Amino acid sequence: MKSSYQYKILIFLFVFAFTSCNDDDGTPLPAEQYLQITNLHAPMTGGQGQEPSSGSYTKFDFATASVTTSETDWDIAFRATTIIVNGGSSTGDADEPERNGNAAAYIKSLPFSEVTSVVVSDFTQDSLEEGLAIPTGSGNGWYTYTGPPEHLILPIPGKTLVIRTRDFKYAKVEILSYYRDLDDSVAGNARYYTFNYLYNANENETTF
Amino acid sequence: MCCLRLSLLILFCGTQWLFSQAPTEVVLDSTEVENLNEVIISATRTKRQLSSVPLPTQLISAKAIAAANSIRLNDILEEQTGLLMVPDYGGVEGLQMQGLDNQYNLILIDGVPLIGRSAGTLDLSRVTVGNIKQIEIVKGPSSSLYGNEALAGVVNILTQTPKTGFGGCFYYRGGSFSSNDLSTELSYKKDKLGLHAFVNRFSNEGYDLVDSDDVNTVEPFHNYTFNTKINYEFSEKVKLFVSGRLYHQVQDNVASASYDGESQIDEWNFHSKLELKFNESWDSQLEFYATTYKAEEFLNDTAGNLFSYSDFKQRFLRPEFRTVLKPNAQNSFIAGVGMQFESLQRTDFFGYPKFNSSYLYSQYEYTKNDEFNLILGLRFDRHNEYTSQLSPKAAARYKFNDKLAVKGSVSYGFKTPDFRQLYFDFTNATVGYTVLGYNAVTTLIPELEANGDIASLFVPLSVFEDNLKPECSIGYNFGIDLGIDPKLKINLNLFRNEISNLIDTRVIARKTNGQNVFSYYNVNEIYTQGLEFNASLKFNKNTVLTTGYQLLYAKDKKAVQAFKNGEVFARLTPTSPAFVLSKKDYFGLLNRSRHMLNFKLSYHMQKWNLDSNIRATYRSEFGLYDNNGNGYLDAYDNFVSGYSILDFAINKTIFEHYKLGFGMDNFLDFNDPQNISNIAGRIVYGNVTINF
Repeated sequence: MKSSYQYKILIFLFVFAFTSCNDDDGTPLPAEQYLQITNLHAPMTGGQGQEPSSGSYTKFDFATASVTTSETDWDIAFRATTIIVNGGSSTGDADEPERNGNAAAYIKSLPFSEVTSVVVSDFTQDSLEEGLAIPTGSGNGWYTYTGPPEHLILPIPGKTLVIRTRDFKYAKVEILSYYRDLDDSVAGNARYYTFNYLYNANENETTF
Repeated sequence: MCCLRLSLLILFCGTQWLFSQAPTEVVLDSTEVENLNEVIISATRTKRQLSSVPLPTQLISAKAIAAANSIRLNDILEEQTGLLMVPDYGGVEGLQMQGLDNQYNLILIDGVPLIGRSAGTLDLSRVTVGNIKQIEIVKGPSSSLYGNEALAGVVNILTQTPKTGFGGCFYYRGGSFSSNDLSTELSYKKDKLGLHAFVNRFSNEGYDLVDSDDVNTVEPFHNYTFNTKINYEFSEKVKLFVSGRLYHQVQDNVASASYDGESQIDEWNFHSKLELKFNESWDSQLEFYATTYKAEEFLNDTAGNLFSYSDFKQRFLRPEFRTVLKPNAQNSFIAGVGMQFESLQRTDFFGYPKFNSSYLYSQYEYTKNDEFNLILGLRFDRHNEYTSQLSPKAAARYKFNDKLAVKGSVSYGFKTPDFRQLYFDFTNATVGYTVLGYNAVTTLIPELEANGDIASLFVPLSVFEDNLKPECSIGYNFGIDLGIDPKLKINLNLFRNEISNLIDTRVIARKTNGQNVFSYYNVNEIYTQGLEFNASLKFNKNTVLTTGYQLLYAKDKKAVQAFKNGEVFARLTPTSPAFVLSKKDYFGLLNRSRHMLNFKLSYHMQKWNLDSNIRATYRSEFGLYDNNGNGYLDAYDNFVSGYSILDFAINKTIFEHYKLGFGMDNFLDFNDPQNISNIAGRIVYGNVTINF
């Protein structure tokens, strides 16, 4: 309980800090967007049995804060537990969208609010040789898989995805749930992401 | 066929009992005499007075088993201090000792190992207690005497031996869930020849604690155990022992409403020993042991067509020669040499693996007037698949006076990678992931690559050229024996086990179907430490209270470090912000309870020749899996609440030879099928014993 209380104070300070910052700049609209996306559906076909996984990725654009079908205006894309970025080269996976942007990512082992700046040298992009910028597999990236008997995919608390968008803007993302309406009691609820993110619309600005 | 044979046997011994005039042995029913004579073999491989052994040991007598009306080995073990039966996959339960899993315990019957860990777990409900004379438990690593698997401890089950004259026993227990346990034992000994025969049938109609699914918690089963022993004394100096044991079990196998079938287990062992006594101070034993464990199961679909079949067939063969030299009262030496041949055939396996090993051990013991005792032991194991192991042990006990003695030991234990960890070749049919044994990787990955199944390889194949190392541990035990008063005995033991090279799975490649290929590797270092306390208080001749407690900390060293470094976080609700956890938030390994407690109050009513007891075991809260995604069991995860199991038993002896019993196990009817599937709920039973 003590930790949670401390935490509330932290958030408060954080929000306060960047509101006052905006006041100083005198900008009418905040350049930073703090939003929560709920139930982003990331279906997949195949992957069961010997069939290779397939199906199109659900693409997301930070600038418009929405899911998109655009072939160019997307930053990250989801298919089941896999998250790819619009930057780098194909990993050889079926139905991957073409990467035509400059997006990149890395995972920071800190709570969302404590990630206040971007380390540009930490970014990696997807590729066949190096794998995905956001690695898959239990404990490797953003989730752990509990195994039998529950078979749950649980986001690892304190893992923040730091994203460079296709056009050199920065965002940080914390995934909260992999299940529809945060309800992991039914297996059929899987592949619905809920996540918080903070997007800095100012190009090349590396602080949040 | 078996049933017919069984009923004939019963008929036979029934008539024998009617006409038998053989005098029965006079049994001294004095606890004090018994305590002095309690002898343990497993601790040193020679007969030793229990109280003088410098290692943490526990003894369960046939009398204690009978007083609890136990029928299977797991029933009686779970009532002992610091021992816990943990449910595992496939409806079996394994033994946890000093906080270590069942894979790290060695289970022996008459000194030779029980095999058949089909899913990694040795199912102890396979063993009937009907013909057990004594169960010996030695805690802490004992690889210096027993080699592989004796990492957390050793449980040695000593079975009954022929008694002078002709005698026998018939036992039946019937109880809840239509469970029937029937045993018959015959014993004959005259002059040079001793014979002992035992047969047991155990059946249960199963039970279901979860209504929402199509499968039972335990499916109906029945099993048979046959055991025959022959002792023959060629002369004072040459003795022969031969024993054969058969076990057969059939159980319904139900996967869902549309798939059902049967599973079957067949096990046999042959054990022989030739004892040569050269003179008063020198004797030798030549031992030969062979055993096979076979498990088969199938599922049919609703149309009766075969849907799946799997089998598991393990063979084990071991000749051993040992010799004991006692030049005088103070010094004794024991040395042994042996070979072990093991093979396994099973579905989803890469080839037909064979393990061959040879070993050599020796132990020196120094005893001075029951005051000081020292044991030094060393064993060397050479194996065709893994690195050689050298297992030392040192233990000592010092008795200050009749009221106080201290003992301590440091010893090494190891467990070799099992067949599955080396040769598994399994692909899950519904999800599509693959698990490969360590030794199968360098052959099978290139095959998968050639098939175009591998998208990317994360671990280079060159890593797999070195052997997978055996898991090993160093155990420290320190104990105090207090005899404050002849009526009150207290025993305290502090323990710590440091285990390294623990084997775990990791992802080695990603498949084109998006799933992973897993294999095994040496990674973890864990420790278990704690305290064990045992006390017995004799209020008067007829009333005895015994109690035991275990405090346990079982932790992963890397996890402790991660918490210390502030790298582990949690959330209070799924959407609340993450916060850092501190070192004290780390609970430890899964399925370990911090506290375990037991009580047993026995009362003997002389007037009615009635024995009764009430027994209680308590286990504090434990975690079964990580709920909050950080990969560790911490204070913010969901825990299974602590629980108590209470049993009572009453046994009345009539006319010396008959005994009637009644009791209720778990009479508060505790159950939690979601989390603790091996607790059935209240069991009411009645039993009858006829000795002749």
